[in-house]
Amino acid sequence: MAFDYKELGFKCGLEIHQRLDTDTKLFCRCATYADTEEPVASIERYQRAVAGETGHVDRSTSFESSRGREFRYRIFRKTTCLVDIDEEPPHHASQEALETALKIAAYLETKVPDEIEPMRKEVVDGSNPSAFQRSMMVGYDGRLHFGKSSIEIPSIFLEEESSGIEDAKGELAIYRTDRLGVPLIEIDTSPAISNPKEAKEIAMQIGLLLRLSGRVQRGIGSIRQDVNVSIKRGTRVEIKGVQELDRMDSIIEREVERQVNLVEIADELKKRKAHVGKASDLTHLFKGTESQIIGNGIKENGVVLGVRLAMFKGLIGREINEGKRLGTEISDYAKKGGVKGIIHGDESMEKYKISAKELKDLEKELKLSKDDSFILIAAGKHMAEKAMEYAILRAELSMQGVPPETRATEPNSDTTRFMRPLPGGSRMYPETDILPIAPDKDAYMRMIKNRLSPEEIRKNLEADIGNRQLAEQMLWSYNYQSYLFIRENTKAQPSIIASILLEKFTELRRKGIAVDDIGNEALLEIFESYAKERITKPGIEELLKLVPNSKAEVDNYIKGKNLVRLTGREVEKLVKDNKGASAEETRNRLMAKYRLNVDGAELNSAIRKIFGE
Amino acid sequence: MYSEKISEEFKKHGIEIGDRISIKDSEGSNEGMLMPRPDVSKSDIIIIKRDDGYNIGIKYGKGTKLKRVSGKQHAAPEKRDSAKPQKGLPKVTLLYTGGTIGSKLDYVSGGVKALTKAEELLAEVPELGNIAELEVKQIMSVFSEDMTHMEWKEIAEAAAEAINNGSKGVIVTHGTDTMHYTASALSFMLHGLNAPVILTGAQRSSDRGSSDAFMNLICSAYAAGNSDIAEVVICMHADSSDKECMLIRGTKARKMHTSRRDAFRPVNNSAIAYVSINGSIRYNSAYRKTTSLKEKVAVKSSFETKVALLNTHPNSSPEMLDFLISKGYRGIILEGTGLGQIPINTKHSGYNWRSALKRAIDAGMVVGMTSQCLYGRVNPRVYSTARELADLGVIYCEDMLPETAYVKLGFLLGNYGKEDAEKLLSKDLSGEITARSETEWKSDI
Repeated sequence: MAFDYKELGFKCGLEIHQRLDTDTKLFCRCATYADTEEPVASIERYQRAVAGETGHVDRSTSFESSRGREFRYRIFRKTTCLVDIDEEPPHHASQEALETALKIAAYLETKVPDEIEPMRKEVVDGSNPSAFQRSMMVGYDGRLHFGKSSIEIPSIFLEEESSGIEDAKGELAIYRTDRLGVPLIEIDTSPAISNPKEAKEIAMQIGLLLRLSGRVQRGIGSIRQDVNVSIKRGTRVEIKGVQELDRMDSIIEREVERQVNLVEIADELKKRKAHVGKASDLTHLFKGTESQIIGNGIKENGVVLGVRLAMFKGLIGREINEGKRLGTEISDYAKKGGVKGIIHGDESMEKYKISAKELKDLEKELKLSKDDSFILIAAGKHMAEKAMEYAILRAELSMQGVPPETRATEPNSDTTRFMRPLPGGSRMYPETDILPIAPDKDAYMRMIKNRLSPEEIRKNLEADIGNRQLAEQMLWSYNYQSYLFIRENTKAQPSIIASILLEKFTELRRKGIAVDDIGNEALLEIFESYAKERITKPGIEELLKLVPNSKAEVDNYIKGKNLVRLTGREVEKLVKDNKGASAEETRNRLMAKYRLNVDGAELNSAIRKIFGE
Repeated sequence: MYSEKISEEFKKHGIEIGDRISIKDSEGSNEGMLMPRPDVSKSDIIIIKRDDGYNIGIKYGKGTKLKRVSGKQHAAPEKRDSAKPQKGLPKVTLLYTGGTIGSKLDYVSGGVKALTKAEELLAEVPELGNIAELEVKQIMSVFSEDMTHMEWKEIAEAAAEAINNGSKGVIVTHGTDTMHYTASALSFMLHGLNAPVILTGAQRSSDRGSSDAFMNLICSAYAAGNSDIAEVVICMHADSSDKECMLIRGTKARKMHTSRRDAFRPVNNSAIAYVSINGSIRYNSAYRKTTSLKEKVAVKSSFETKVALLNTHPNSSPEMLDFLISKGYRGIILEGTGLGQIPINTKHSGYNWRSALKRAIDAGMVVGMTSQCLYGRVNPRVYSTARELADLGVIYCEDMLPETAYVKLGFLLGNYGKEDAEKLLSKDLSGEITARSETEWKSDI
C-alpha cells in the first residue's frame, strides 16, 4: 500500500543506540566484552514501581510492576561485579566513554551542558537489577547533515546498556549481566523525518558517524535503532530494536498501515456506540468440555473468564496488518498476564472444539446480541484475572484509536507486537550517588574545530589506500576501527591492510569463518608479522582462517602450523635443493609445496639468479 | 543550595525552585523547570529539568539572562492504598526510627534523607496489610550514626509498651550501620521478654524499585506476627536474592559489608531462622521461646556512658588508656589481637600497655577482652601474654562480639555495681556468649 505521508500527517523520529568499545563499563570497572564463559551464579529479585521525582507512578512502570514477575540474573566472573547487581553504589563515570560521547557530539554539532547531570530512568521490566537505568544528557540542539538535507538532533545521551534477556517464561525472566552497564550512546533525531526511505538514510548516516568515532562495538545487537512513528489521527508508537537497516522503511510502512486501520476501527466503534463489559466467571459452563484449550486452562482449579464486547462484532477479526487483527492486539496484551492466548467471538468456535451448547450458554450468560463479540480466557485464577484485566484494557483502548505503546519487531515479518505502554516523563530522577560531571568544554571546542566530515575522511582514506572504491567501502565498514588501529601501529602497506580487512574478510565470512571474532591485538600481530617478513601474504589468510584470539595465539600458529616465511639464502637453498629440469618446473614444484612460506616475487628472483636467465 | 549571588538573581526575577524558567547566554537559550542545587557541586551552575525529564547544568555568568516563564506545575501525586489494618490477623506494632529503609532522595542535599511519615513507607508495601494487623508508630527519625543510648532507651520503652498492650510482636525499623548495637542494647534492656522484637532496615533506599526494604519488611511482619521467638533479632536478607531473610540473634549480629543487602551475618552463632518472602519460617537453631505466662516486660535502661571500645594494633599507644583513666572512665572493652592479646611485653616503653593497664585496673576500671578477629573465642590460657593479662584482672569475654561486649558493659555498669558487672560480663545473659562453638559445617559427604 502506498501512502501519502504528508496527507497522513506522518511523523517519524529515530533513537539510535550504539554500544561503545571502551576498556570498562560506564560506572564500574568490569570489562565490556560479552563474556563467552559460563555464568558462575544466579540471583533472584523482584521489582516494584515507586513514585518518581514528581510523585507520579509512570504508566509503563506501573504496568510492568503489576505483573509481579521474578527476575533471575546470571552472574559472570569477569563481567559482573557488585555494582551491576545493585549491591554497591556506582563508581565514577568512565572517562574514555565520556570522551567518545563528546567526540560523537562534536560530529553532530550539539551543545554540551556546562555540567552533565547523571539521571536515573526508572525501568522495572527487570532489565536493570537496580530498577533504573543511569543516563545523562551529553549534548543537545545538534544537527545532522545528509546529502543536501539536514535534520535536527535534539539530544545525545550516554547511558548504561541493559541486561540481555536470555529467557522469559510466564512470571520468570532470566537476564545476563555481562553486557549490563556497558556504555551506550543514544542519538535522537527530531520527529521531522518525512518518509520511511529518509528514515533509513538518516540511520545509515548516524551509523557511519558512530563508527568514525573509532570506539564502537561491532556485531549483533551492538547497534539498535528505535523508531518513533505517528500519524495525525494516531499516536506516537515506539518500535524497539530495528536491527536490520534494510527492513527499517518497510517496518515503518507497516506501522503507518496499522495506525490507519486502528483509527478506522475506532471510528466504526464510536459510530456503533460500542462498549466493553465487565469480566464474569464462566467456568461452570465448561464442565466436561471437549475443548482442549479450555480444558487445559481449568485443569488445576483454573477458571474461564469471559467479557462482552458490545457492538464489536466483526471488528475484532478485522485485519490491521498482514496476518494480524485487532484480536491479535488484544491477545498480545493478555499474554503479558502470562496466558498463551485468548479466544474471541470473531473466531470459529469449531477450531477450539467449543460446542454449540457451550456457545449458546455463553451467549446467554454474557447477554450477547448478534452485534456483540466476546473474549474468553481460561487459565489459573490469578493468571486469568490478570490477563483479562489487560485484555479489557486493550479492548477499551481500541475505541480511542492507537494506544501509546512500545512495540517490538517480529523476527520473521515487518510487523510489530506490543511490549508495554509507552513510558511518560515521570520516570526520571537524579542519580545522587554520582557527582555531576563538568565536561572539558575547551577540549570539546577543539573537537568541533578539528573534526573532519565523512567526505574529508573518505578523501584521506583514498590518498592512503590509493584506491577510491576501497576507501569508500572502508568508510562504511565496521572494520574502519581495526584499519586505523593497524595502520597506526604497523608498517604494513595500507592497501594490503584495506584489501584484507574488506575483500578477504568478506570472502572468508561467506565461507563461514568468524573473522569478526578476531580481536584487534591478534590482527595487529598478523599484520606486524607480515610487515616484518615473518609470514607471507597467503600466510595472512591462513592465520585468519584459524581465528586467533591473542598475540600469543598468532605466534603459536605461525610456528605450529608451519607458516614461517623463508627469505634470502633460505629461498636460494630451496631452489638449489629442488632444482628441476627448467626454471618453470622448479617454480611450480616449489609453489605447490611452499606456497605459504615463500613470497612469489622473491622466489622468482632466486630462480632467475640460479638459472641465470 | 544556590550561591547568594544566584539566589539574589532568582529573587530579582521572582523565580522560585520549581518554576519554569528560561536561561539565555552566548551559547543559546534553554527552558525548563528550575531544580534545587545539590550542595555538593560548584555553585555557579543552574540546574534545569528539560521537558524530556533530563536535568542539565548551565553556567551562570555575566551575560546570562534569566526569565521566569511560568509558575510551579502542581502535579497531584496519585493516592495509593496504604496498608489498612485488617482484623483477625496477629497484632504487630511497627516502631519507625529512621534510616535508609524510610528514606527518600533529598533534592536539596543530593543525598538520601529520612521520611518523616511512616505511612509513606507503608504505602509502598501494601502486602503488609495481609500479614498482620499493623499499628505504626513513628517514635523518632534518626540516622544510624546519630543513635545514642538515649534513643536505645526510648525504643526499649516503646517496644515494652507495645508488648504489654497486647502486641504479638514488634518491628523496629532502623538504620543499618548501628543496628547491631541497638539490637544488643534491646537484648539486655528488655527483661521478661515474651514476644519477638524484630529489627529491620534497608541497604537500598525504599524510593527505588529494587530496594531490599520491601522484602525485609514483609519477612519481619511474618516473623513478628507468626514466630514464637522471645528474643530480639535482626531480620535482613539472607543472601543477595529476594528469596528469604535471616533472623539473627541481636547479640550475635554484625554488619559485615558496607553495601550488600546481606550485610548482616551471625558471628559465632547460626541464624535462628530463615523467613521466606512467602511467609514460611524455617527454624535453624535453638532460641528462647514464648511462654503462656502473662508477665509484663520490664525495661532496665540505665546506661553508663563512661565506657569505651578500644582497638589495639601495632604502634598503638597506651596514652589512649591513660586519657580514659584521667576522664574517669569506668569500663573499657579491648579489641585485642588473635586469642586476646595486647602489647605488654614490648621493649619499647612508648608502646607497652602494661603499666597503663595496671593504672586503669587500680583506678577501678572494668577491663574486658574481645578479639578483633570477630570470629572465634578469646582464650587467656594459650599464650603467656594473655595469662599475664588475666592475672592483671582483664576479663576474657569468650566468643562475645566487641560491640556487644561494649553495650553489655555499659548496661551492666549502668544497672549494677562494679562487682556484679565484673562477674556478669563473662556470663551469658542474652545469648551473647555461647557455651558451644558451633559452626555451619560444610561437607561433601
